[in-house]
Amino acid sequence: MTVERPAIPADPGDAVPGWKETLVGMPRRVWRSIVRSGPIPRTELEKAQAVADNFFFHIHSAKVRERTLRWKTTLGLGLLTMNVFLVLCVTGVLLMFYYVPSATEAYARMQDLHGAVFFGRFLRNVHRWAAEAMVVLAVAHMARVFLTGSHKRPREFNWVVGVVLLLLTLFMSFTGYLLPWDQLAYWAITVGTAIARYAPVAGDEIRYFLLGGGDVGGEALLRFYVLHVAVLPTVMFVLIGLHFWRVRKDGGLARPTSPDASRERTAVAPDEQPPFERFPTVAGKTYGLMAVVPLKTHNSDGDVEKQVPSWPSALGRELLLLVVTILLLSLAAIFWNAPLEGPADASHPPNPAKAPWYFLGLQEMVSYDAFWGGIGIPTVLVLLALLAPYLERRPGGEGVWFHPKRSAVNWLFLSLIGTLGVLTLIGTFFRGANWSFVTPW
Amino acid sequence: MSRLDALHDERAGGPRRSRRSVISWIAAGAFAACAGVMTLFNLMFLRPRVTTGEASKFRIGRPENFSSGSVVEFPDAKVVVRRSGDRFSAVSLVCTHLGCTVRRTDVGFECPCHGSVYDAAGSVIGGPAPKALSWYRVSLTPSGELEVDKQSVVPAGTHLEVAS
Repeated sequence: MTVERPAIPADPGDAVPGWKETLVGMPRRVWRSIVRSGPIPRTELEKAQAVADNFFFHIHSAKVRERTLRWKTTLGLGLLTMNVFLVLCVTGVLLMFYYVPSATEAYARMQDLHGAVFFGRFLRNVHRWAAEAMVVLAVAHMARVFLTGSHKRPREFNWVVGVVLLLLTLFMSFTGYLLPWDQLAYWAITVGTAIARYAPVAGDEIRYFLLGGGDVGGEALLRFYVLHVAVLPTVMFVLIGLHFWRVRKDGGLARPTSPDASRERTAVAPDEQPPFERFPTVAGKTYGLMAVVPLKTHNSDGDVEKQVPSWPSALGRELLLLVVTILLLSLAAIFWNAPLEGPADASHPPNPAKAPWYFLGLQEMVSYDAFWGGIGIPTVLVLLALLAPYLERRPGGEGVWFHPKRSAVNWLFLSLIGTLGVLTLIGTFFRGANWSFVTPW
Repeated sequence: MSRLDALHDERAGGPRRSRRSVISWIAAGAFAACAGVMTLFNLMFLRPRVTTGEASKFRIGRPENFSSGSVVEFPDAKVVVRRSGDRFSAVSLVCTHLGCTVRRTDVGFECPCHGSVYDAAGSVIGGPAPKALSWYRVSLTPSGELEVDKQSVVPAGTHLEVAS
C-alpha cells in the first residue's frame, strides 16, 4: 500500500531559474553586484549604506556634522587643493603622451603642443594655471587651518603631513617648471639649484646629485621629468591618503570644545596630558547606531550636534566644487596662455633672470644674502612650520577663526606670511634689469 | 621574560638572552644591513660617474691667433680668454652668486640676475656675489695650441707667458 505523501513545495534556494529569466534579469543582477544599494537612497539607513558600501564614497563617515559643511568652517580650501591636484594628474598624463624629456626635443614638443596638437594648448594652459593655483590654495588651506587653531592636539601630526605636502607641491612645481626647456625654465632652474650650493658641507654634492651633472643640461631635464611624473606624484598620493585618513581618525574637523572639556584641559603639563582617546570609554559614541538614527547623536564630550548624511550633503557639495574648479581653470586657460619663451640658451641669460613667482620672495632674500636668504631663513621657517603645533603651549581656540586666546600666534603667523607675500610682490613686480628696483607703472 | 627566566638570571648572576632572541637580533641585523647596502647602492646608482656634456679641458687655438690686448669670449664654455703682451689668462663667466652667466662691461663684468658687479680682474665690487670670478689654468699643449682647464682653478692674476 502506498502512502500518498503531500507534495513538498520546491525550495526556492534550489530552484534553477530558466534561461529567459536569467537573461532578462541579467542587467539588474550585474548592476546590483557592483553597486549594492539602490539607485536613490531615501531613508537614513539607505543613505548611510550608500556611503559605506561604496569604495570611493567611504572616505567619508556615514554622517558628518552640519558644521563641517558650512562654508565658513573651511572655505572648502583643502578640497579645492585636492580638486586642482586631480585636474593636474589628468592633464599631466595627457601631456605626457606628446612630451619627450630630451634637451634637443623638449622645446620642439612644446611648440607642437601649441600648434600641431588638437586641444594641446588648452591642456597645457589648464596644467599651468592649475599648478599655480595649487600653490596658492595649499598656502590658503594652511592659513585656514592655523587661524582656526585646527592644527592643535590631537591633530599635530596631520599638520606635519600637510606641511610636507606643501613642500612637495612646491618641489612638484619647481620640477615641472624646467620641462618646457625654454629660457624662462632654464634660468629659473639654474638660479634655483645654485641656491643649493650654499647649503653647508654637502651643498655642491646635493646640486650634482639633483642635476646629474655640474650644470643644468639634458641629464637634469631627465631627472626632473622622472621626479615630476613618477616619484613626486606617487609620494603625494600616499601622503594625501594619509592626510585624509588622519582627518577622520583625529575626530573630524576641529570644533570648539565644550566648556567641560576645556576646563579639563587647562593647566595640564604636556607630559601629564592623557593620551588622545579615539574611542572614548565614557559616554562614548554608539557608532553602529549613529548611521541609522536620524538627526541627532550625542558626542563623546556631552554636547549635541546636528549631523547630516554624507550622501548627498557632503558629496553633493564636493561634486559642485569639482565642477566649479574645472570651470574656473578652463576659463583661465581660454583667456590666458601659459608663457613660453625662446629655447633654452646657456650663454644668454635674460635680464633679469627670475625664478617661478612663488620662489621670487626667496630670490628677493637671496639678492641680499645668498646663504641666509636661500638656506638659513627658509630652513628656520620650515622648522617653525613643522613644529608649530608642538610649540604652541596654550590650549584652546580650536575650530574658531581668530580666537582671542590665540591672537598672539595668529598675528605672528599672519606677519610671517605677509612678509613672504610682500617679498614675493617686490620680486615679481618691482625688480627689473640687474635686479634693480623699478616701479611697474 | 618569564619568571623562570628571571630566576635563571639571578642564579647565573646576570641577564641572559634566550637563543630565540639572539637569532632574532642576528636576523634583524642582517636584514637592516642588506637594506642599508641596497639603499646606498641605489643612491650611488643615481649619482653619475660619467657626465656627458662638454669636457673641462678645451683647446682655443694657437697663441698667434690672438692679437695682443684681445679679449675673446667662449660662450659655450662660459670662459673669457685675454691676451696682454705675451701673457694669456682665462677667467670664468659664471657668477659666483647663483650661477648666471655674467656679461662684460667697460669696468669688468656684471651679472644680470642679481646685479653683482666685478672688476676686470674678477674681484667683486658690488652686489651679493660672495667671491671673485675663478681664473683657470691656461697651458700650451705639445702641438702648440692653448688649452684651458676649467677643473684647475688658479689664483687671480696667474698668466701663461708665451714667448713669441
